[in-house]
Amino acid sequence: MKKSTLLTNLFTLLILSVTFISCADDNDTENTTTEEVSYNTHLTNITDNVIVKTYADLANKASVLHSEVQDFSNNRTASNFDESKQAWRDARAPWEKSEGFLFGPVDTDGVDPAIDSWPVNEVDLEAVLASDDELTESYIENSIDEIKGFHTIEYLLWGVDGNKQLEDFTDREFEYLIAVSENLKNRTAGLEEAWTASYAYNFKNAGTSSSDYISQKSALETLVTGLITIADEVANGKIEDPLNGNAGSADQTKEESRFSHNSKTDFANNMKSIANIYNGTYLTDGVGLADIVNEYDAALNTEFNTAVTNAIEAIENIPGTFTSAIENNRDAVTNAQEKVLTVFEILQSKIEPIIKNL
Amino acid sequence: MKNILRCFFVLFIVSCAKDDALNNQYSEIPNTSERYYAGGETTIFNTTAFSFDNPAPNLSAENLEMHLLGDTQFEQAFVTAPSTVNPGLGAQFNNTSCIACHPKDGRAPFPSNINDLTGLFLRASIPGTNEVGGPNPVPGFGDQLQNHAIYGKQPEVQLGLTYTTIDISFEDGTIVTLKKPNYSITESYIDLPSNTMFSPRIGPPLYGLGLLEAISEYDILANEDSNDTNNDGISGKANYVWDKKHGKQALGRFGWKANTPSILQQIAGAYHGDMGITNPLFPIEADYGQSNGEQTLTDDPELSQEILDQVELYCQTLAVPAARNLEDENVIRGYQIFVDAKCDACHTQKYTTSNFPGIEAISNQTIYPFTDMLLHDMGENLADNRPDFLADGNEWQTRPLWGIGLTKLVNGHSNFLHDGRANSIEEAILWHGGEAEKSQEYYRKLNKTDRDALIAFLNSI
Repeated sequence: MKKSTLLTNLFTLLILSVTFISCADDNDTENTTTEEVSYNTHLTNITDNVIVKTYADLANKASVLHSEVQDFSNNRTASNFDESKQAWRDARAPWEKSEGFLFGPVDTDGVDPAIDSWPVNEVDLEAVLASDDELTESYIENSIDEIKGFHTIEYLLWGVDGNKQLEDFTDREFEYLIAVSENLKNRTAGLEEAWTASYAYNFKNAGTSSSDYISQKSALETLVTGLITIADEVANGKIEDPLNGNAGSADQTKEESRFSHNSKTDFANNMKSIANIYNGTYLTDGVGLADIVNEYDAALNTEFNTAVTNAIEAIENIPGTFTSAIENNRDAVTNAQEKVLTVFEILQSKIEPIIKNL
Repeated sequence: MKNILRCFFVLFIVSCAKDDALNNQYSEIPNTSERYYAGGETTIFNTTAFSFDNPAPNLSAENLEMHLLGDTQFEQAFVTAPSTVNPGLGAQFNNTSCIACHPKDGRAPFPSNINDLTGLFLRASIPGTNEVGGPNPVPGFGDQLQNHAIYGKQPEVQLGLTYTTIDISFEDGTIVTLKKPNYSITESYIDLPSNTMFSPRIGPPLYGLGLLEAISEYDILANEDSNDTNNDGISGKANYVWDKKHGKQALGRFGWKANTPSILQQIAGAYHGDMGITNPLFPIEADYGQSNGEQTLTDDPELSQEILDQVELYCQTLAVPAARNLEDENVIRGYQIFVDAKCDACHTQKYTTSNFPGIEAISNQTIYPFTDMLLHDMGENLADNRPDFLADGNEWQTRPLWGIGLTKLVNGHSNFLHDGRANSIEEAILWHGGEAEKSQEYYRKLNKTDRDALIAFLNSI
């Protein structure tokens, strides 16, 4: 072999190996540059200890509600009536605390409309009650969303004017209550299952090829967008529409949980949903978005937590029912709305940019 | 350390570029930085499960206020009249809210149960045309079959669904099995004529629609080549349809067969046909004169012009999600393949929108939607065999491709095409026949690496 050929071959080999190494290395460097800081602990805690725990709580409380309405039907006493109503409120709380993360199966499996559609289709519901149809869980499942879920149960328990009496209940209403509560139990159990079976894995493994999320940042941004969405919804929808929906004056028909007068609690729980994701808490404390924000801007972290606390307090301090307050204590409602708007604005103008620039 | 990394990176680009120099024309995608802004200044950099339902960031205060009002309306569920809130559902309907068929303003999945409330319905007609040249409605059914009804009323039909499988082979031996849905009518409130033609349609994503409405007619017609005078096997035909608002023929822009001239008419038609909500543009109930209809109420129109205008503007002003990863080597290679396979003969990459009165945000924007807005023969496997104005039974409108890579993240599925039959972007490519047959064959001849590169490109735009 001629020396020159050998040299050429060696040179080619060298080039090839550099090419090979550099190409291989590039994948590594790319991983290190885009995932320099890992947010595994944040995503894992928020997924396992906030989102999944909230859904587990919801499924559990919906199951209790189903048992309570069965008891109530079997033994139609005032105390069982109260316990059914309380069971509805208890199940409603984790649902409202989940509205800060309305993405994934709750949306793609159609769970949100199936358990929280509003308004109730009162005409159809009354027609079904007046019919001879056999009222089973599968009957409810195959019905339109507007005669199932929380607000249909609320309508049946409290009545259209919010003052239903024990003696007002018909046998058909009990049958419907049991079937519709069983459907709520099934759908919420399915929601928890969808997360534990696959979506939690999808979310926690953001940035790997087994996830729909192209990066951990994309997952964190999804969380922040979820918080922005619910803060916007509470301030500019849930409060604004009943408060000013009638050309600047109150419109009670636009209040979501008006049969049970549970709106203030709903809104406060929506705010708690924000706090839970942000701080990584639900029953237990953990790592959340707060830990990221705190590293960049400790003062902002404090400012935001204070703003959420203020919003919750302002909502809870609205005198009387929300239904009455939008007529009689409009300043208190407007104050609460402004406090929620502050949460919304901090999220949008200060926290989202930090997460986007990670 | 960062400098060392950068050195490696530069070395990598150089060395890999050398490897591919023989067959790669592009070392980068032309206008890369501009392309990230797929929707021009309406683009939003949001790669999340909420990527499709954002207002364009450049809206005027006035437009934004109206957009948010439209957003609220878009989510409203309608109920049976009389009701203090949102009355007028039905009597027949396919679903109860806009958002039900356009989840998160995205794409509806293929139904898991065809008779559930889903984002899919069948259009129907009999041979001939109506008085304005459109499909000839089926007596007793109209041009859309509703498989739900308010309590006590009969739905028009119940649907049946079976599948035929089609095996597609790649040159490397890989086989993909496509599932072709076959729809049937299992029940109907009265008999359907035996010559009824059906066409399945699914709810498409809504972002960027205003930009597509703002493309000038001149720019769209410039790509028309009905007689294929350039002999590339691709014709491109404009649909001309009936504009109800202006009472005249107009260029078809929206709907799977481009059978609707405007977003206004599309949404007014959806309120009317999908939910049974009458409105100023469609003031008579879809089931008028039908024995399963609701003839006693005198509440029409059930939706005001004000709300219709809000929802119109909402659908015109949803932000387009930004492109991603355009500098990835694989994506650049995918771009090369996209061009080499002549995908862009129909999926026209770039436009500059015209001046759009009333909405400055969507005016004069440089955009990358990847559609020519025209009709093409897509072959027998996709054919609905039902004409719709000038669109024949084999023709469909080219779909925009922007944002499709985010479908799985936002909507939890990858169901594409007019009825969602494709289970992935690859399957959607393989369904392409007719004028797109050659491009599809080109794809089948590629090796796995190159096929993946094309998909990576499509996922990035």
